[in-house]
Amino acid sequence: MFNVLEKSLNRPAMGMRSRDGGGGGGGGGGGMGGACYVYPENLITNPNLVSPDVVYQRGIDMDIPMTMDDGNVVTMWGFTDGGGGMGGGGTFPSPAMRVRQGQIVHTVLDVNMMWAHTIHHHGIEPHYYSDGVGHITWDVQGASYTYQWRPAHAGTYFYHCHTNTVLHAEMGMYGALIVDPPEGIGTLYSGGPTYDTELFWVVDEIDSNWHRLAWDAGTCGGNVGLHSLNPDYFIITGVDGSGSTAMNAAAISGTFQRGTKVLARYICAGYHPQRIRFGGLTGTVHISDGRVLPNAIQATELRAHSGERYDVIFDLDTRGEYIIETDIIHWVSGEVLGTTRSRITVI
Amino acid sequence: MKRRDFLKVGSAGIASALVGTTGLISWSRRAHAATISKTFYITDGTITMPDGADVYFRGYSSSANGLDVPGEQLVVQEGDTVRITLVNTLNTTHNFVIDGVVDSGAIGGGQSKTVEFVAGNAGTYMYHDDRNGEYNRLLGMHGGMAVMPAGSSDELYSGSPTFVQQYFWIFHDIDPDWHNALRNGSTPSSQYEPMYFTLNGLFARPPGAPGAMDPEVDAMVDPRSALHGHVGDRTLVRILNAGKAAQSVHTHGNHMEWLTENGQIRPDVWKKDCLYLDGNMGALDVIYPFEVPPDSWPPATKGAYPMHLHSEMSQTAGGGLYMFGALTDIYFE
Repeated sequence: MFNVLEKSLNRPAMGMRSRDGGGGGGGGGGGMGGACYVYPENLITNPNLVSPDVVYQRGIDMDIPMTMDDGNVVTMWGFTDGGGGMGGGGTFPSPAMRVRQGQIVHTVLDVNMMWAHTIHHHGIEPHYYSDGVGHITWDVQGASYTYQWRPAHAGTYFYHCHTNTVLHAEMGMYGALIVDPPEGIGTLYSGGPTYDTELFWVVDEIDSNWHRLAWDAGTCGGNVGLHSLNPDYFIITGVDGSGSTAMNAAAISGTFQRGTKVLARYICAGYHPQRIRFGGLTGTVHISDGRVLPNAIQATELRAHSGERYDVIFDLDTRGEYIIETDIIHWVSGEVLGTTRSRITVI
Repeated sequence: MKRRDFLKVGSAGIASALVGTTGLISWSRRAHAATISKTFYITDGTITMPDGADVYFRGYSSSANGLDVPGEQLVVQEGDTVRITLVNTLNTTHNFVIDGVVDSGAIGGGQSKTVEFVAGNAGTYMYHDDRNGEYNRLLGMHGGMAVMPAGSSDELYSGSPTFVQQYFWIFHDIDPDWHNALRNGSTPSSQYEPMYFTLNGLFARPPGAPGAMDPEVDAMVDPRSALHGHVGDRTLVRILNAGKAAQSVHTHGNHMEWLTENGQIRPDVWKKDCLYLDGNMGALDVIYPFEVPPDSWPPATKGAYPMHLHSEMSQTAGGGLYMFGALTDIYFE
């Protein structure tokens, strides 16, 4: 089993170990619950582990009710803070991870159920044993697995499940991942600008029809609609973003004294493109996708697509109320499907 | 169903422009401009989707009885004379266009035409059929052309960051209802809803799936798509989107150095793990640097990572079958 590297570089061996069925007209599949093309049987203990500086324990909760502004309840899935347990204790989004550049981090994923999941630390580039991609290595099912990574670059990332990803990430299985420079919170990157406070704009869309599917929906074939995301809710950092809720939610919106330097960490967490408009404010974009820009840029709006992040500092020098709007834009038609709203008030 | 013709073009008549006989775009710089000749046969046929559906396509093919979607990669250098002969084997009218470079005009059913142009600015181009708006491009009539800077084998444009090898990633999305309508000579009337997604014309096949590991079937190992390199093998990827859906191109293992967007050189090179690829002929040029994955501990010099679109609907086929969409693998060797 120490030859997994070789096997994944010469993938026939991996294929041999995988399930039959699916594809070529669908059918078949002999996995737990009839899933196809998940790879829990490949699981080994991560052989590279060293003593960590930080440990995050994550379990799974696949029944997180989220009440929308219209009163409807949509089921979300997520990671819990702390492993073990079957269900309960999960939040949407999943609890954040916040580490310092250079720390050795362990993420311990406990999947105490017969459904498969992984954790992929998006934008973090670890050894592939720690990358959480099922088809390259393994999915975690009824087992525990430790991912090891050592972030080299400060910035905004997120972590999410990478099993049947199209569904599991849409179901909400993600959380913020912040890497601070050695200077700590308050400095964007080593030697870079400082900030006084932070806002988190994690913008996502929800198609509530997808939220009635099983964890392995579509993996063996059959049209379960995963090619077509038709969102009916628009979310910012775990709250319904269409109305006024987000405009009064801490860490999404806020009221600040003139002179405050606010860092907004914007994550495009949906699957459709987005356009974020800063409501009359001009921000300075210093980092995107965890990499410092060679030259910071000034922006009054940005466009982004799935998985992109932008770290934007606003020097609040003019009193007023600024409504930040993020349009979610259909990936084919370009139609604005919905808009989330958050607020910065300067007094 | 016609068997796909995988880049089995002979190089006769093609002066040192090595047109994708392997996955890598092979290229040797030349001191002098040359005349590059290529014949494309406009053909049609059906291609079987991962869920078993047969869908109608048209392509610029390298043989009269083949069906190449996308068409073969063309690699030329600035100043070359490029002579393209189009043989229309169909009874519908087509053309061959590279925006701002060449337009063949109409090529009627059963007709042939030769167009000639001098390759201009170095960069990445899409050739396509715009005779009927976007429809023929969507049916498969598209392909990539690279124009190398004169006298240079390791730059995208003169003075650009350098690379040691280069690839094309041509993405496409497919709404079978539109293909069926167009096959029947109708104008599609339904809202476009892509149901299948390809990379260089192929679908990924996860380990264990029918066709997995077959380089003529599986986009994960297709040598035109899967990146292979040792640490330090900086790799240019010319990314084109023949489909209609805007995509987010996401690499694991390394960030991409973002050189151009829609043909424009970026003012600064940003390092990105996700890049916004516009629908309808969006284009990006990136370098995948094959650096030691920066957050690996202990540092990893070997391994495999995926490239996939983060607009995750594109990872499915026929409304399910996760991992049968537009993705490939990246091998640190």
